[in-house]
Amino acid sequence: MAVEYNGGVVMAADSRTTTGAYIANRVADKLTPIHEKIYVCRSGSAADTQFIAENVKYWLDMHGVTLGELPLVKTASSLIQRLCYYNKNNFMAGMICAGWDPVDGGQVFSVPIGGVRVRQPFAVGGSGSTYIYGYCDANYHENMTLDECLEFVQNAVALAMARDGSSGGVIRTTVINEHGVERNMIPGNALPRFSEY
Amino acid sequence: MSILEYNGGCVLAMAGKGCVAIASDLRLGSQAQTIAFDKSKVFKLNDQCFIGLPGLLSDSQTFVDKLKFRTALYKLKEGREMQPSVLSHVTANMLYQKRFGPYFIEPVIAGLDENGDPFISAMDLIGAPVFAKDFVLAGTSSESLYGMSESLWREGLEPEDLFEVISQALLSAFDRDAVSGWGAVVHIITQDEIITRKLKARQD
Repeated sequence: MAVEYNGGVVMAADSRTTTGAYIANRVADKLTPIHEKIYVCRSGSAADTQFIAENVKYWLDMHGVTLGELPLVKTASSLIQRLCYYNKNNFMAGMICAGWDPVDGGQVFSVPIGGVRVRQPFAVGGSGSTYIYGYCDANYHENMTLDECLEFVQNAVALAMARDGSSGGVIRTTVINEHGVERNMIPGNALPRFSEY
Repeated sequence: MSILEYNGGCVLAMAGKGCVAIASDLRLGSQAQTIAFDKSKVFKLNDQCFIGLPGLLSDSQTFVDKLKFRTALYKLKEGREMQPSVLSHVTANMLYQKRFGPYFIEPVIAGLDENGDPFISAMDLIGAPVFAKDFVLAGTSSESLYGMSESLWREGLEPEDLFEVISQALLSAFDRDAVSGWGAVVHIITQDEIITRKLKARQD
């Protein structure tokens, strides 16, 4: 998931990759940089999303060098949309592109399966997201502080991890604002815990 | 997706010195979605016999009711409790009766016989039994459980050590399985008492 807050964006993801029911990687990194201050959350087929991210990273890099400035988040998300839409019959990729640029500040763009691109104040994706739509709608508000935003995403991802079998492991977070990028990780034994009967 | 993986879950049983242990996870799911965190797959039939029934929960619950009926009737007719080795053969027979429309369960049986010797056995869904001296297991994390059990089990484990070994084996194994986990319960059965403990596990 990715959330806009007053100053930038906060992104968070779980770390589980499964092949069927077996957990192939329990410490995966689903928050991939495609430029200095633009990251993508990857969900769906790992192969497809890695391919798309690498491609867009290359094109964005060329574009940034040509421009001589930091590329815009809407440009990055548009490149992702282009690949996802025109290859929609072959890809299974749900991506959330989020970051910070000097023109529009923090932005979150969702590019789900099929290739629609839409800017949202916050976006959730992946198989676990269905369990937290209610929680997110109830607890999101505009202009959250960084700490409020971090607590929001950590609780949301922990709730999704508890209910969804395909989600789990650690919670990785990335904070992107004008000052830079900060990456963090919450291990399994420090996750927020809810009702356990 | 196999019907045996629909609800998810796993059971492990181990033999020690004068004791047996049987443990299961607590998750009930509907494929990827988790429905409950309190569904143990281990059932007590009498003081000597415990049976673990991982697989399709609907069949586990139906089959354990049939087993409770058979053990109660046995006690009335024979005037004594059913021994675990007898339970094993009864279960295998009941499963083979349904050879061409089976119950989707893979039973794991653990108990102490009348001499106090540990007894463990397991079988597939159509009743092919295996009688082991060390450990038996079944469920969606079976491959991981085999690896953990082969590494951690050793002969002559006392009850408290057996508890540690079975708990670590089960927890490490089902933490690699997306459809098992969310807590565990362990029963240690000795001549004098049955100790039941709940394990705190990752809730993911």
